[in-house]
Amino acid sequence: MRTYDCDVVVVGGGSTGAGVVRDVAMRGYSAILVDRADLGQGTTGRYHGLLHSGGRYVVSDPHSATECAEENAIVTRIHASAVEATGGLFVSTPEDDLAFSDDFLAGCHKTGVPVEEISVAAALKREPRVNPGIRRAFLVEDGTVDGWQMVWGAARSAQEYGAQILTYHAVVGIEMTGSSVSAVRCIDRRSGEDVTISCRFVINAAGAWSHHIAEMAGCHDVEVVPGRGIMIAMNHRLVNTVINRCTYPADGDILVPVHTVAIIGTTDVRAEDPDELPIPADEVQQMLDCGEILIPGFRQARALHAWSGARPLVKDSRVSAQDTRHMSRGMSILDHQSRDGVSGILTIAGGKLTTYRLMAKNIVDRMCEQLGEERECRTADEAVPGSTPGETYQVTHRLHDREADRRDDQIICECELMSRTMLTDALHADPQASMDDLRRHLRLGMGPCQGGFCSLRATGIACAEGVIDAELANARLHEFLAHRWIGLWPILYGDQVRQTALDEWIFQGLLDVEHLPEPKVVLEPVPLGVAAQSLQSTTEPETTEAVR
Amino acid sequence: MSAKKDPKKLTEAERQERDADRRERLVTSQQGPKVLTLNLKEPDIFAAQRLNRESLDHCVKCTICETQCPVAAVTPLFSGPKYVGPQAERFRHGESVDHSLDYCSSCGICTLSCPQGVQIAELNSMARAVMKADHMPIRDFLIGETVLMGKAMTPIAPIANAALNNKPIRIVMEKIIGVHRNAPMPTAQSQSFVSWAKRHQPAKPATRGPVVFFHGCAGGYFEVQTSIHTVEVLEHLGYEVIIPTQGCCGLAQQSNGLFTQARKTVRKLCDQLRAAGKDLTIISSSGSCTGMLKHEAHEIMGVDDPALIDVGSRIRETSEFLMELEDEGTLPHTFQRVDMTVPYHAPCQLKGQGMGMPAIRLLELIPGLKVVESGQACCGIAGTYGLKKEKYDVAQAVGQALFDMVVDTNPDLAVCDTETCRWQISKSTGVPTVHPISLVHRAYGLDK
Amino acid sequence: MNDVVVVGGGIAGLLSAARLVAQGAKVTLVTFGVGGLQLSHGGFDVLGYAPERVDRPFDVLDDFIAANPEHPYAVLGADAVRLGTDFASEFFGDRLVGNDGRNWLLPTAVGALRPTYLASPTMVNAEARAGHDPVVVVGLQQLKDFQAELIAGNLVKQQIPARAIVLDLPARTHEADASGLTYARAMDRADYRADFAKALGKQLLSGEKALIPAIAGHHEAAAFTDLQTRLGAPLAEIPLPPPGVPGMRLNEYASRRLQDQRVRWILGARVVALHSEGGRAVSVDVATSGHLTKVRADAVVYAPGGFESGSLSLDSHGKVLETHLGLPVRVPPGRLIGPDRRSEQPLFRSGLAVDDQMRVLDDADRPVYPNLFAAGGVLAGAMRWSEKSGEGIAAASAVRAADAIGDLA
Repeated sequence: MRTYDCDVVVVGGGSTGAGVVRDVAMRGYSAILVDRADLGQGTTGRYHGLLHSGGRYVVSDPHSATECAEENAIVTRIHASAVEATGGLFVSTPEDDLAFSDDFLAGCHKTGVPVEEISVAAALKREPRVNPGIRRAFLVEDGTVDGWQMVWGAARSAQEYGAQILTYHAVVGIEMTGSSVSAVRCIDRRSGEDVTISCRFVINAAGAWSHHIAEMAGCHDVEVVPGRGIMIAMNHRLVNTVINRCTYPADGDILVPVHTVAIIGTTDVRAEDPDELPIPADEVQQMLDCGEILIPGFRQARALHAWSGARPLVKDSRVSAQDTRHMSRGMSILDHQSRDGVSGILTIAGGKLTTYRLMAKNIVDRMCEQLGEERECRTADEAVPGSTPGETYQVTHRLHDREADRRDDQIICECELMSRTMLTDALHADPQASMDDLRRHLRLGMGPCQGGFCSLRATGIACAEGVIDAELANARLHEFLAHRWIGLWPILYGDQVRQTALDEWIFQGLLDVEHLPEPKVVLEPVPLGVAAQSLQSTTEPETTEAVR
Repeated sequence: MSAKKDPKKLTEAERQERDADRRERLVTSQQGPKVLTLNLKEPDIFAAQRLNRESLDHCVKCTICETQCPVAAVTPLFSGPKYVGPQAERFRHGESVDHSLDYCSSCGICTLSCPQGVQIAELNSMARAVMKADHMPIRDFLIGETVLMGKAMTPIAPIANAALNNKPIRIVMEKIIGVHRNAPMPTAQSQSFVSWAKRHQPAKPATRGPVVFFHGCAGGYFEVQTSIHTVEVLEHLGYEVIIPTQGCCGLAQQSNGLFTQARKTVRKLCDQLRAAGKDLTIISSSGSCTGMLKHEAHEIMGVDDPALIDVGSRIRETSEFLMELEDEGTLPHTFQRVDMTVPYHAPCQLKGQGMGMPAIRLLELIPGLKVVESGQACCGIAGTYGLKKEKYDVAQAVGQALFDMVVDTNPDLAVCDTETCRWQISKSTGVPTVHPISLVHRAYGLDK
Repeated sequence: MNDVVVVGGGIAGLLSAARLVAQGAKVTLVTFGVGGLQLSHGGFDVLGYAPERVDRPFDVLDDFIAANPEHPYAVLGADAVRLGTDFASEFFGDRLVGNDGRNWLLPTAVGALRPTYLASPTMVNAEARAGHDPVVVVGLQQLKDFQAELIAGNLVKQQIPARAIVLDLPARTHEADASGLTYARAMDRADYRADFAKALGKQLLSGEKALIPAIAGHHEAAAFTDLQTRLGAPLAEIPLPPPGVPGMRLNEYASRRLQDQRVRWILGARVVALHSEGGRAVSVDVATSGHLTKVRADAVVYAPGGFESGSLSLDSHGKVLETHLGLPVRVPPGRLIGPDRRSEQPLFRSGLAVDDQMRVLDDADRPVYPNLFAAGGVLAGAMRWSEKSGEGIAAASAVRAADAIGDLA
């Protein structure tokens, strides 16, 4: 049993939670963030990668549009190393209502979203693969973000201000003193230990799972509707600029270059359970068709990996409960004091990653109000560790870095140019890291071979470094490949089938991994929605949709 | 457009603007007589980029290309074709950061070996052109001017040759222009092929109809014998050989990243060859120039001209053409005996045309002649690669096994289909090296 | 029989060409790229798992055939498998050795034990059931594809006393990241072998067997035995992920031998069409640069590989195609790809259906042409990498096709 004591516990390590713990810590509170898994495994790890210029919302949700425009500039400044300043294009394809483009332009002016109309010829010169039938084109300040880099940046900033980040700690209960929250009980999923954190305040940033946490504090009927959407990463950057269709927000209307891939998305279907997020075949076909509208020949390009994420949408009375596309993206703060008579807890839900910092500010302001303490938000003033304002991410970074260390270091993940030093540094920083934990930091296994060549090297090196033994290495290898498969099998066609065939030739035909001695060790237990389970089970880890 | 004011890292729009400006400035600061006008915004470049860049999706990382690369085999300075081609391409955007790609010799063996259809060498050639746009050495510009060299050297052949064989002069050349002192240099001839052709009368009347002969720069000024032998064999077979006015195919410019010049050059050549007559077969003993017309100009530079497609479809390398006749049953076997075992090396750019090695089958039609195929990937010269002082040692290492094989097989004669490879082999081994047509010429009794 | 075209330079194409040459045919082999043998483990599989591990493949073959009537082995019959295996064994000579009808059980580069029927003689000292001499797994700092600790750890769990060491011995100066091939080239030189033997010898304990990555020479055939002699201890190679040298040794030997026998070798051009006249195949079109080249054919052996070579393909609409000639593909019914990675994906059993002469069949089970044959990975009905049956299928079908062509004359 471990105990902690702090001012604020933040539940949920997505962009909102990471933003909150940073803000709270920078305002001088002692804080602990808990997440049942790694940071950014929920919605933040499964989104499109877009740092909105606001253009998408100028007509449909003008308030959001303005917020995006302002926050875009701030995030680019404070998280420069996670942000690529790609720029964005809004294009009127032959499928789009040309009249809308006038509304779009007017909406940008009204909401303060920077925009510039350019000629179709100039747009096609800049992005030669875009549909040559486009009739209008507008340049905006869309950027792209690596969600994990961003979240860890915020978390590291919080740590610099004294906060603690406890990943793999699942919340199992909230203790009350009278009608006030007084402690949060967790299980450390890696060690099995019970953990109690005494605190003054809980900020519930658990996104699509926040109703579970609210429930634990006696706050019932919190309705957060998971709006599920799929995204497909294409094997290379078909474009270097974010391409948006100039239309009222619809499915599959954006193509986003992030790192070395281009991501098409997304759909919007109400899900029942945020831990059950399938990637339906009809939605895959729909995304490929949408891709064809933006980039003729899209279906001949190589689909690399797909995932499903759930937007946490607060149910509101304006739209039908089934139509998650049109629920407000605006953030909602649930004041449990007035709503449920419970003090010391606030829930925040909704919103989008681009405005995460503002969301965090709003809820921490509200917390300070409730505590009767006036402390200023400074999160916009300072860059997070590892980021220098103005030095944004360039896709050429790793190629440049490997060029410099080519003779002295090994490249372990060749597809994504991850060096051995990068891997061993991460392994020693977190010896209990699973391969997916490492992947989120390093992009191991996220390139064309999807772990075909690098996963054996990585588990072998972990073994060589003494971080894990052979049995655990076997288990981690199987787990990693199983997790990669979740995002592969729904989009497996064309070139990726060839890759899978070669990968199977290596794993089974050459290495015979299926006949390794079976590991007795269990890895991540089934991710939990609510109650704790015994961690000493000897069953094999199940593959679930929720692990990303 | 409100730009993020950022001195070090620019937005895409600003980068493009800067790159455009940069190219203008580079041009005006050159000391050379010609202006470098590499313009990546030409419409063609996108066609090539798209074709090759799209093909990177086929890469499954099987490493077969790496196992075949002759440069990666001899130096860790080059990370190999998989690395610099489909792998690095996913990270490229604008300014080049991976300068080690320049160690690629563009031999094309990677593309040839790839079972998945990745245009590996072509990806690299394009990336090199982008890299060179930033800083093109004047040497690479001059090396591309093969016709100029030929025209300039022919009138002063003995002097030119003496200079090229003079060690102190070569050392100075190496320091100033970067051509290695030991690199094989072409031998200037006193008489160009065209002047021979002007004075030449066929030995017998034509019975089979006209064909067009493309001699190439080397065949025009340096390897005139090869051109003469080719024409005489074709005439012996009954063809009327038309030799139109013709220039360079642009290959040397292309392999040095001078795409704008190369495109102009190759288009001009296509017009000249087409002017000789519609639908005629074009024959060339210049294996690498043949490859340029058949596929390289399109695959590397994206030239999509109907004139190029036409010429590319009608051109045949000499051995290829003779074996077509053989397969039709119309190649006379009136060969004299030539009792000899000769080492034969198929150049990379010949292999890259996907027709196998017709020279072997052709030569073995000659009674008594035994051909030993080199079994080696590359002689190292790779066009102009091995001439460069910083690449010379790599090139020689690449070719060493071939040189040993040649000397071991027959120290008196070797056979190879392209001129720069012949120069490389003979310079490095001392063994005289000829085009296969020269043995055919001898076997038909045409040697005087 | 005169002109035969073999499409594909993998092991099926190579063995088919070899059999045809032995019968006196004039063979043209057309291959788009270097064939898959280049990447193989350097051994010859007949049947490794059915699904339990197989000890003597020819003892269980009849049962396997009865249980798998769609499998190429069932179409071919057990005798054909034996014939193909014997032919391959003879062709490769002492580059492949057998174990008296028993599968070898050899350690892999992750430390699993893998059955194979014929193995490179450089590997058999690692046979897992041959007594329990202690074993030292020898890694190299500069070789990331051979992780000695992991291998040794897994061997220990399978009752093989093993320990791991890692030598710091670059293959080339100032190169921290080398492949197995880079090492194998270094091992072609006696001086490097001497250095290696010296460094390893210092750490080798008396009575230990050394398991090294498969780097003991590329072109130098005597490199392995020389190294073993210098070491004075039993040595065994373990095959690596690509670039894998053992497969290259076999591929280069086979290609060289066939080219020396004047098989017309066309590398780098796709076969794009098959022409017929009077209900027989008469020629193929090869896409040489700039123009199509027509190659006459009295018979065609079509061995272009399966999904890994792109000859079989699944498009984005879910349709399975044979991509070069558009031949009819047999596809298993039901879902082709499913969520459980560790269970079989039926997609990979798709392929061409053939009769017992290896003639390609259409959807009504009639030969497409009497002189069009198929062999190897393009055939339907097998899961070669999990069964460990790839080479056996390739050889049996290649020999059967070649012999059927001989009978056509």
